[in-house]
Amino acid sequence: MAAGDRTKISIRDVSFDYADKKTSFEALKHIRLDIRDGEFLCILGSSGCGKSTLLSLLSGLNRPKEGEILVDGKAVRGPGPDRAVVFQQYSLFPWLTAKGNVMFAIRQSGRKYTRKERAKKAEEYLRSVGLLAARDKYPGQLSGGMKQRVAVARALALESDVLLLDEPFAAIDPKLRLELQELVSTLCASRKKTVVFVTHDIDEAILLADRIIVMEPGRIRTEAEVALPHPRKRDELIGTAAYEELHRKLIAGFYAQVQENIDAEAAL
Amino acid sequence: MKRFLLDRRMYAEYAVAAALFAVNILLALFMPYLTEHKRIYDSGAYIAALVIAFLIYTAGVHATRRKSASDIAVVLFAFFLAWEIAYKTGAVRNDLLIPSPEGLFHVFAEKPEEIWQDVLGSLQLLFWGFFLAILFGTLLGLLAGWIPRVREVLLPISNVITLIPPLMFSAYLIMVFATFREAAVAVIFFAVFWPTFQGTVTRVALMDRAVIEAAKTMGVGTAGMLARVIFPYCLPGIIKSISRSLRGAFMCLTGAEMLGINLGIGYFIEKYKSFADYRCVLAGIVTVGVITTVIDILVNRAEKALIRWEQ
Repeated sequence: MAAGDRTKISIRDVSFDYADKKTSFEALKHIRLDIRDGEFLCILGSSGCGKSTLLSLLSGLNRPKEGEILVDGKAVRGPGPDRAVVFQQYSLFPWLTAKGNVMFAIRQSGRKYTRKERAKKAEEYLRSVGLLAARDKYPGQLSGGMKQRVAVARALALESDVLLLDEPFAAIDPKLRLELQELVSTLCASRKKTVVFVTHDIDEAILLADRIIVMEPGRIRTEAEVALPHPRKRDELIGTAAYEELHRKLIAGFYAQVQENIDAEAAL
Repeated sequence: MKRFLLDRRMYAEYAVAAALFAVNILLALFMPYLTEHKRIYDSGAYIAALVIAFLIYTAGVHATRRKSASDIAVVLFAFFLAWEIAYKTGAVRNDLLIPSPEGLFHVFAEKPEEIWQDVLGSLQLLFWGFFLAILFGTLLGLLAGWIPRVREVLLPISNVITLIPPLMFSAYLIMVFATFREAAVAVIFFAVFWPTFQGTVTRVALMDRAVIEAAKTMGVGTAGMLARVIFPYCLPGIIKSISRSLRGAFMCLTGAEMLGINLGIGYFIEKYKSFADYRCVLAGIVTVGVITTVIDILVNRAEKALIRWEQ
């Protein structure tokens, strides 16, 4: 496996609640998780299980109520360019072209490049996501799939070790989604990134991950190592024994919780 | 070349407007005055105004291809036609209050220097009051929109102040400032500053959270957030609000000038009102209309040139 043994991200006994004046909702309860250097980790769960909340804590946009998160041994105190994020909702800067968006990230990476070098690097990143031809287009002129490609290029352009993706392809139609999944898988593997990828799609998780964490509301239910060789092709995976076994295990973890919910509601 | 041509139906409408224009010209040149009038003016300036209007319409209808352009031209030329006929036949005989169209436009030929100086004077007042207000209103608005503590102090204050019509405290401002010009600049400044401030705060508050979060995760600090994220994001809205504030500013400007400055188009109107020269008063009003329209068009052009993206 590409993943080394060194711990890159350490989530230590982290809790978080969403609170307003009257009510408080405990989204995460004492989460413990270590993520290895260069590992591609998928967090799988149905909506409301806290998987996106966990990612927002990793990005630093939210701060844990209890516990702490360490990246390279240092506590996360807020958002920073050492952890690139791709959001589910389109978050490109609408006043900049595709190239301008990527150049913005290159500037934020903190590395000393001249404007010319930034422009050149931006074009390289756009080429790597197959969008060089659209470099002068504004986000408003791009389709959803193209926007997310630019968002991936922008995240890579930060040149961070850690890449966080929050259901980045949930709003993309299935055929394009497969393309984007394979693209992300290849790009991250070749750059040795530590990736945390949040999804509710079991197939997506199996296709991409070195390890899959299945969440139920507030906590981790189970985890599974994915020992399939990279690069993976969906067509070649489906139907193999390893895939079927993994799928069954995840489905069990995934739906046992759904079944418990239904039972709980039925009992009321 | 093809894109300069209109389709056939639009040419039919264009022909109607052109025919009305031609009748206007003919009446101005050849229709005799059928009753006694105190003064008869040379029709040159009026004809020049008609020709300019027709040229603008011709260019406009070809550029925009809007049917409404022809409708507006027809209404305008029909209005002048009715006015000309009513005046020359003697249906309207109050020479003091209602001049002939020839008489109205002749003002521009009589005192071009005076009108020009007054227009420049007004634009100077407008520049200082308006642009300072836009500048500071936007800067402070961005700051208050982004930093809650600044916002919580300034927004309640501005909510009280904006309820007071600016011309109401202009009488006081005139006493405070050394010259009428400074007072007029101050009146315009306060009329534009607070609405601009509030508008900018609102625009920042309504920003797409995803854009802000994306910037945060890239490690953008407060200064960078204001200058490189919030400002460019809000710029189209700011420019759009400029053309709206401009109307208000011009109203205040002419109002402020009427309070006692001796230069400016508002002063021009006020002066000839006290001379009971309503022909010049009307010419002044037409001038105000033309200037605001021209500035409006320039602002729109600037918006198109600056903003090449859409949400």
